[in-house]
Amino acid sequence: MQRPSPIDDVVASKLCARVVDPGDPRRIHGYDVDADLAAHYGFTDLVLLSLTGELPTAEARAATDCAMIAVSAASVADASVHAAVLARLCGARASALTTVAAAGLAEQSTFELRSGRELLSWLDEPRSPLREHFCARSDEERRRASALTASLPGCCKSMPILEHHPNHDAIVVALFHSAGIRRLDKLEALFTLARLPCALAEAFAEKQTNFGRYPINLPRFRYAEE
Amino acid sequence: MRKSEPKVPEIVTRCAHWGVEEHRYQGHAVFAELLGAESVGGLTALSVLGRRANEELLHVLDDIGVALSLADPRIWPLKLTQLIASYGATMLPAALGWLTLEDARIGPWACQRTADLLVDFSKRLGDDLHDPERVAAVVQDYLRQHQFVWGFGTPYRQRDERLVAFTRAIEQRGRHRLRFWGCVCAVAPVVEAQRKTAPNVSLGVSAALLDAGVAPTKIGPLVASLMHHMFVANALDSAARVENPMRVLQSEHVVFKGRSPRLSPRRSAAAGSGMVANVSGEANPERV
Repeated sequence: MQRPSPIDDVVASKLCARVVDPGDPRRIHGYDVDADLAAHYGFTDLVLLSLTGELPTAEARAATDCAMIAVSAASVADASVHAAVLARLCGARASALTTVAAAGLAEQSTFELRSGRELLSWLDEPRSPLREHFCARSDEERRRASALTASLPGCCKSMPILEHHPNHDAIVVALFHSAGIRRLDKLEALFTLARLPCALAEAFAEKQTNFGRYPINLPRFRYAEE
Repeated sequence: MRKSEPKVPEIVTRCAHWGVEEHRYQGHAVFAELLGAESVGGLTALSVLGRRANEELLHVLDDIGVALSLADPRIWPLKLTQLIASYGATMLPAALGWLTLEDARIGPWACQRTADLLVDFSKRLGDDLHDPERVAAVVQDYLRQHQFVWGFGTPYRQRDERLVAFTRAIEQRGRHRLRFWGCVCAVAPVVEAQRKTAPNVSLGVSAALLDAGVAPTKIGPLVASLMHHMFVANALDSAARVENPMRVLQSEHVVFKGRSPRLSPRRSAAAGSGMVANVSGEANPERV
């Protein structure tokens, strides 16, 4: 017996696909995946095409390559990667481990980019002084920013933000912005995507059930009832 | 609104139904049958087993949930939750810690594999459960073929205090006389004597659930569902810390054992030619 439900008469309309045409051949924003993109473009092109809807210019691709690599090196000192290593240690499924790494990195990106909207707005109209929060303040921050600045592709060496002594991550955001990434959610996704290889590799390098060599008391917790 | 033209695929579900004035859940009327009559533990059993738990099973589930409440944030899956929650969210970190349990070597799926082992022993022993010589022979035969035995091993201590406490609860309920608990009592001392490793709580949990009629394949999801509270507690605990040292460990607490610093071939080539190293430009000159 079919029981009545208040949602029975809702029209079962079609699910909308906006990026990938699921027909044959598969297309991403109109481009044939196998016959066109696979033959003529790289992964960075694909990422920017997916997120912006258009194939990138050479400058946008170079900026994105530089930004993705600059932000990629999440280490086991980061809670996200540490968590992925713990998933491996527990013998979690590969799918669970990948999920932990990706979701942990996404949380890390959200946390680190909590002022990202302000920076994106500034990059849209870089007229006012850059807030100190986005500037390299310590010697360590200046060293990292300087190393990245030296590695910028030629097309990015004249970004206005560079006149304001930005810190490393502000330069990365500026690179993505120059490549057409203007939304915080897309920025967070790119940070996550860029860091995923290192996080997964660090987790895969750990041995399952290697509990004896894991520093269980790092950090140290003290139980207190009050 | 018009009905759509193409025929939409139909899926049969017993899970739930959004009805008019009344909803269905796993074959029961939510308001007429379950509301006011069912506990959260009962809903958990209904969700996993597809049937309502009797009072005895509900007591066992309560005992398992409490006995397994070793929620110290240093314990690996819970620490995982603490780590992710250090960024400020709560439900996602709780879910991440929880999802690592599936098929893992520790936790609920260890109980499931232990249950398989107990079913195997129970079949092998048949009516000889109280024949020490027969039990010893069956167990030794098993140990000759298996290096690792599920349900044994107590990291950082000699005894699993959870099993000790859970045993008391089971005895108080008179359930220690049932088949699979009896199997544990017969088999565990032989394994312990042979392998010098003590039984852990997964042995007791799996026996108690088997004795309550729970199929081994349901034990992983059921036990995991009884442990969710610990992940929520750890997520809330960690997320509440404004300054959380877990977010980034200081460098003195990390030792690097990977490759020594080295130059990439492209950077070496650029240095040799006096060019400024530029990975993007050198990688695909035609694209920049």
